[in-house]
Amino acid sequence: MCAHAAGSRVKTVAPAEALKRVDPALGLTVAALWLMLGLFVVYPLLMMLSVAFVDDGRPTIAPLLAIVGKPSHRAAFLNSLLLGGLVGVFGTALGFLFAFTVARGNLPPRWVRLIDAATLLPLISPPFTTSISFIFSFGPRGLITHDLLGLKGTNVYGLTSTLAAEVLTYFPIAYLTLRPVLSGISGNLEEMAFSLGSRRLHVFRTVTLPLAIPGLANAFLLLFAASLADFATPLILAGNVFPVLPTEAYLQITGLFDLKGGAILSVLLLVPAAIVYVLQRGWVARGHFVTVTGKAGPQSPIRSVTPMARAGLSLGCAAVGLFILYLYALLGLASLVSAFGADHAWTLRHYQVIFTEGRKAIIDTLIIALIGMPLGGFYGVLVGYLVARGPALGRQAMEVVCMINYALPGTIVGIAYLIAFNDPPIALTGTALIIIACYVFRYSPAGIRTTIALMQQIDKSLEEASRSLGARSATTFRRVTLPLVMPAFLAGVGVVFIRSMTAISATIFLVSIGWTLITVRILENMTELSLGPAAAFSVFVITVVMAVMALLNAVLRRLPTATGEQMQWGLGGG
Amino acid sequence: MLAGALSRHLHRDQLPVNPLAIRLDHVSAQFQHRVKGAIAALRDVSLEVQPGELLTLLGPSGCGKTTTLRIIAGFQEPTAGRILIGDRDVTRAEANDRGIGFVFQNYALFPHLTVFENVAYGLRVQRHDAWHIASAVSDVLSLVGLAGYDPQMPHQLSGGEQQRVALARAIVIRPSVLLFDEPLSNLDAKLRVQMRGEIRSLQKKLGITTVYVTHDQEEAMAISDRIAVMNRGEIAQVGDAEQLYRRPASAFVARFIGRANLLPAMVMSVGAAGVEIDILGQRHTLPGVQSGLRRGQTVSAVIRPEALAISDAAKAEAGLLGHVTSCAYLGDKCEYDVDLAGTAVQVTKANPLPSDRLHPTTAVRLQLPVDDIHLLPEE
Repeated sequence: MCAHAAGSRVKTVAPAEALKRVDPALGLTVAALWLMLGLFVVYPLLMMLSVAFVDDGRPTIAPLLAIVGKPSHRAAFLNSLLLGGLVGVFGTALGFLFAFTVARGNLPPRWVRLIDAATLLPLISPPFTTSISFIFSFGPRGLITHDLLGLKGTNVYGLTSTLAAEVLTYFPIAYLTLRPVLSGISGNLEEMAFSLGSRRLHVFRTVTLPLAIPGLANAFLLLFAASLADFATPLILAGNVFPVLPTEAYLQITGLFDLKGGAILSVLLLVPAAIVYVLQRGWVARGHFVTVTGKAGPQSPIRSVTPMARAGLSLGCAAVGLFILYLYALLGLASLVSAFGADHAWTLRHYQVIFTEGRKAIIDTLIIALIGMPLGGFYGVLVGYLVARGPALGRQAMEVVCMINYALPGTIVGIAYLIAFNDPPIALTGTALIIIACYVFRYSPAGIRTTIALMQQIDKSLEEASRSLGARSATTFRRVTLPLVMPAFLAGVGVVFIRSMTAISATIFLVSIGWTLITVRILENMTELSLGPAAAFSVFVITVVMAVMALLNAVLRRLPTATGEQMQWGLGGG
Repeated sequence: MLAGALSRHLHRDQLPVNPLAIRLDHVSAQFQHRVKGAIAALRDVSLEVQPGELLTLLGPSGCGKTTTLRIIAGFQEPTAGRILIGDRDVTRAEANDRGIGFVFQNYALFPHLTVFENVAYGLRVQRHDAWHIASAVSDVLSLVGLAGYDPQMPHQLSGGEQQRVALARAIVIRPSVLLFDEPLSNLDAKLRVQMRGEIRSLQKKLGITTVYVTHDQEEAMAISDRIAVMNRGEIAQVGDAEQLYRRPASAFVARFIGRANLLPAMVMSVGAAGVEIDILGQRHTLPGVQSGLRRGQTVSAVIRPEALAISDAAKAEAGLLGHVTSCAYLGDKCEYDVDLAGTAVQVTKANPLPSDRLHPTTAVRLQLPVDDIHLLPEE
């Protein structure tokens, strides 16, 4: 109860362990991790910057000026910011509607589960699903535009549809961010305001909304970043009229084979992305207004909304939810008919196609995902553990570096990998390894974050008990720490798997004849206008991802330390 | 309960162990405080624990007792000094290489393992065979009164049961040294008394050298062979319970162990017959010799509240005159606060009868116990 306990209580006293010399196994692990981080995070980024800013061994910004001088690139830059800002505003509004309805609407649990399911769908889908359904609905032969409204020659491509598709794809991030914020605002505060004679709308404006502002800002920034990084939606829906940076960079490289131009466009993309990341981290660090007191919340229904308002909110959510479900139903339908919009005869031909012609992509993707899963899960737990408990020296640096690839738009990471690993000394282009490495280092931060959060709940005395019983640090990690952070491991495994099945923005640059991916095949199908197989691929991916998530959740519930809660998948901002 | 279990189990080969001494040699430790910088948690602590002895580290919060224990365990490194277990210098040895058993304040049971696996943990690490592990775990669980609890999970157990599992887990690996960090502080008062008796009898039977940290002086006195009282990162005094109580080395120890009155006094003469002192204007000759005193020296006279005899001034003639300022009736005793011409004095009267009760403002006389006064040089 002396200095030690006092120290752990106030958290101001760094224990003397910090000065303790490092256990050899631990030191070796830290060194190995830094080597990997250097190789797969720092090195590609530096290589990309050097391609962008070094000519003949001399630093120069002439190519940068040349790129910025081109009106189409300037337009792409401004378009990206515009799209990001609009997606941020509309997505946050939609997320707030859902979060507020769930937190204050006193909905039956069944309805809440339905909302959760509808908002989860876009997060676990391959990137083109909304876009495909948009074309099916609003295209020249679209179900709504052509069949329902009888419009001819409508143009689905451009800002509006890109914005709508991105909002529907990314608003769940805002919902997941805002829901705990709104639930955390004690109903008592609102009750208090009522008791002081305020009217409901006034309470909402003067109490609820101000308390939610940090959460709203956070959600806006996350959506802005997600839109900024989005490659798939604009590629399909933006068309030539609305170029954005990720697609411009992609076309610069795949169309013009101009690595340098791609690198410079990536740097342009990097600037707003970095600013948003820093701002967002600032909001998170400052935290929300804490109104959680540790006392059980009020059991009586919160009277924040009138029955009328409640009905309105529910209707709004239901409309959006139904629209999402409609888009997915359309996708399923399109995968089962001959040619959607033209020939609606039932057929399994598209599935036959994806399991024959598309078999290589499916097998490659599954192999890559299955190898990446355990690696990513273990990497996440290891880094999380070292950030939480490792040697003090370099702990924060490790936390920052391991988040870089996650925070950067995928296009940048892909181009950086392409530049760094195309030639000796480390030539990995064309291998599965480069894709696996990209996924592991890009999508493990969910596992890392969860591990850090869990480690903060695991008392240090457990590890000390293990040591006092004769176990080395490696044994302690294996027998005590690892089982206790199993939920984080599963979360890491889950996210790496989902992303391996659905991501494209980085890995589009890394696929090869030898190794390809389902998402890349979907893109190819889209450009060849074979939308049926694209839809079938998407349905397949969604089915597999949901099955694996269900499996992981079942495993999680059976863990001896299970709390019965559903896993926090940490998909936000991915 | 334990005695019977012990006699049944003591013939087993794993008990008792070969006890080793622990020595701390000029040990210092520092913490880095973000605001205040380096803070000394331990200052030049030297201490020896005899083989088979139970020594308690006792002191208020922040005194360095837990730091001392963690340094012995190897969870923290001292910034200076040496730690020896037996003849071996373990200052640089890892915690897993010191042959210690550690019982934590929060028990630190592995939440994902059953009671059996918790206790078996250390044996598995030592790669014992399954048969040995099964029999050793079963023996030690019987020893702590938890036979049959093997398949339970820690969260299914009560606090006392968890404490026993933690104890079983620590002793099953036959440590040469057993360390306790406030093991009873999370238990309720009655269970605390029962468990401390069980820990003590177990420790005696096993003969394991033990260091026990507590801030509860009654617990320390009940359980220990010797007590090291700590204050501000230093050892204030080491001794058995009676030495600490009757011959405290400092005002801090006098006040920390039990309750004490420290009355200002002056040495009038030092002779073969004893020491003559002046307390509040009255002269007393204390029998026996206390070294280091000289004539004219001012000292503090340590007098325990229960050593003072209090009586109604109306019925007594001798003694210091004062009056009662407050009285608390506690059943087995009455605690009085008495004002002696401006000096506040605590007095305890055991087994108070209704007729003896003295109420506030009553004039009283206090008889000083000349055989029971301990003198401390003014600090």
